[in-house]
Amino acid sequence: MKAKAKKSIRQHVIIGNCIAAVTAANTLRELNPDDRIVIIGDEEVPSYSRCLITYYLGGMVTQNHLLSHAEKWYAARDIELHLATRAEGVDVKRRIVHARHNGRKKDIRYDTLLVATGSSPIFTKSFPYDPNGIVGMRTYADAQRLKAWARKGKKAIIIGAGFVGLKTAYGLVKRGVQVKVVELLPTVLGRMTDLEASRRVRDRLVRHELLDIELNNSVVATWRHRNAYVVRYQNGGEEQADFVVASVGVQANTSFLEGTGVQIDRIVCVDDYQRTTVEDIYAAGDVCRSRHIVTGQWIYNAIWPVAAAQGRIAAYNMSGQPQTYAGNIPMNSVDFYEMWITAIGDVQAEGDDIEEISFTSNTIYQKVKLRNGIPISFMAVGNVDGAGIIRGAIVGRTPWKEFIRKPQAQLLPVVNQIGGFLSKAVA
Amino acid sequence: MKAFVFRPDKCDVCRECEVACTAACSTAPRDSARYAPFIKVYQSPQGPFLRLCKHCEDTPCVDACIGESLQRGPDGIIVQDEKRCVGCFMCNMVCPHGAIKTVMGLEKAFKCTLVCGDGDHPACVAACDRDALQFDDFSTTVKRRRTRKIQGIVKK
Ligand SMILES: Cc1cc2nc3c(=O)[nH]c(=O)nc-3n(C[C@H](O)[C@H](O)[C@H](O)COP(=O)(O)OP(=O)(O)OC[C@H]3O[C@@H](n4cnc5c(N)ncnc54)[C@H](O)[C@@H]3O)c2cc1C
Repeated sequence: MKAKAKKSIRQHVIIGNCIAAVTAANTLRELNPDDRIVIIGDEEVPSYSRCLITYYLGGMVTQNHLLSHAEKWYAARDIELHLATRAEGVDVKRRIVHARHNGRKKDIRYDTLLVATGSSPIFTKSFPYDPNGIVGMRTYADAQRLKAWARKGKKAIIIGAGFVGLKTAYGLVKRGVQVKVVELLPTVLGRMTDLEASRRVRDRLVRHELLDIELNNSVVATWRHRNAYVVRYQNGGEEQADFVVASVGVQANTSFLEGTGVQIDRIVCVDDYQRTTVEDIYAAGDVCRSRHIVTGQWIYNAIWPVAAAQGRIAAYNMSGQPQTYAGNIPMNSVDFYEMWITAIGDVQAEGDDIEEISFTSNTIYQKVKLRNGIPISFMAVGNVDGAGIIRGAIVGRTPWKEFIRKPQAQLLPVVNQIGGFLSKAVA
Repeated sequence: MKAFVFRPDKCDVCRECEVACTAACSTAPRDSARYAPFIKVYQSPQGPFLRLCKHCEDTPCVDACIGESLQRGPDGIIVQDEKRCVGCFMCNMVCPHGAIKTVMGLEKAFKCTLVCGDGDHPACVAACDRDALQFDDFSTTVKRRRTRKIQGIVKK
């Protein structure tokens, strides 16, 4: 007779409470009906989609929609939730997370630990954080604050015309705020665009009278002046606004891992199993690295689908079911006033071995880059139809010559060089 | 779980499936922008191809959906809560079938959610009289696809 092996009940602790954390918790529960699962998050509200906060700011998404992951969600899965609780340190020997809630210390024991603390906006000496007027756009609290400030007739300066900067500008303009965006690079949307794509995006946005975007300029100092903030630009000019939003990039939230032995190289170094360098401590999401699925290199690919996938993989490994994550490629997609922009892969790749194929019309701009005849990136403005088809070719390393013979490839203007609906053109 | 199978060799691009899809699926008034088919057949020099949600087993679109608008339903079908869609088109970027479409005037992504027919007989499949489009059990379709592939190799 076989003795029934009694599985001991383990406690899985997750620090962070966004997509990586929630996906991990959900998966952990599916795999371990009896184990204890604890989430520690420093925000006041239960998990929500961070990507929606600018839409919430602009009034395109309601509060109900944004906060629909109510505490019920956790209760239904028997997940212990600690809101407004910040992890301050980890005692690796005793397996304890030192946390703080409302000034009171809380020690939480773990058997396995998942670090899913994401990242935070970067502030510099030129624009130091100031809760009254120099802020970031990363959390629900940030969105609430900007929403309260964003009234008709107000003016905002946004530092950085990256993805989050432009989305924030878009949201503020929808509220009637006058917005000036200043960007160091010659292009908007940073790594997603080239000059032509950037020009199209910028033109589309600044068509709105409340929105202005200045490129090739940066902010060297910001200070408070009476009830307003003054920004000094690198080119000498000064400008005044009611508030300033910094969106020049993010840094991983890793300070509480100091002294644990978890290897950090600006971001947490994980392996393919989402393991850190310390036993039973895992990491997932914007806090850690992931692989470029085509080149196999470790990159920082801080996007939603990667965080979700890493959370899931981490949960499998924390449950003793080994699984590896192959990674993804950099990609992003956004829409401003019904003009869609999608960028996939190494859009910025340059060199002698790079070949470019593009399609340009009044309303469409698409570009594919090939390395040794294999597509490595795709960028589209105006018409992004079927972008996933080309993504398949990039990830699958399908030679371009082979790809363009496929029927489904004919959907893309950059392949058929027609731009209109193919069926009409052929008929 | 069921899935769509398309046989381009049998399709003559008559577009009956598109007509049936439009008629069956759209809940919007006939003159609205939404009144358009989720299924689209294209004729290309390389033969016809079909743009339609295959309700894949792995769900890249659900993983990429930042609005939690796309979800896998209990019956395996990828459903969509239109109200939650913010139109970012992350789903379009990862869909290998090009199944996501937009409608002018609405900043949203749309896809087939199999709301037509009785679940087993989608309107587009019922409308296809050349058997170019089938809706079958997932394992059967995969098997059939494999057999066809092998036959193709053998013929060569
Ligand atoms: C405005 C905006 C728009 C975006 N749009 C897109 C998009 O369209 N597509 C896309 O792919 N990605 C987008 N992103 C990126 C996407 O939101 C992130 O990739 C994703 O949220 C990462 O999830 P995560 O779980 O790793 O970490 P995060 O979302 O950063 O969550 C980490 C959580 O941990 C908490 N935390 C941090 N430190 C501690 C601590 N010590 N103790 C307790 N809790 C802690 C944080 O407060 C936070 O709640 C956007 C991001 C922003 C800000």
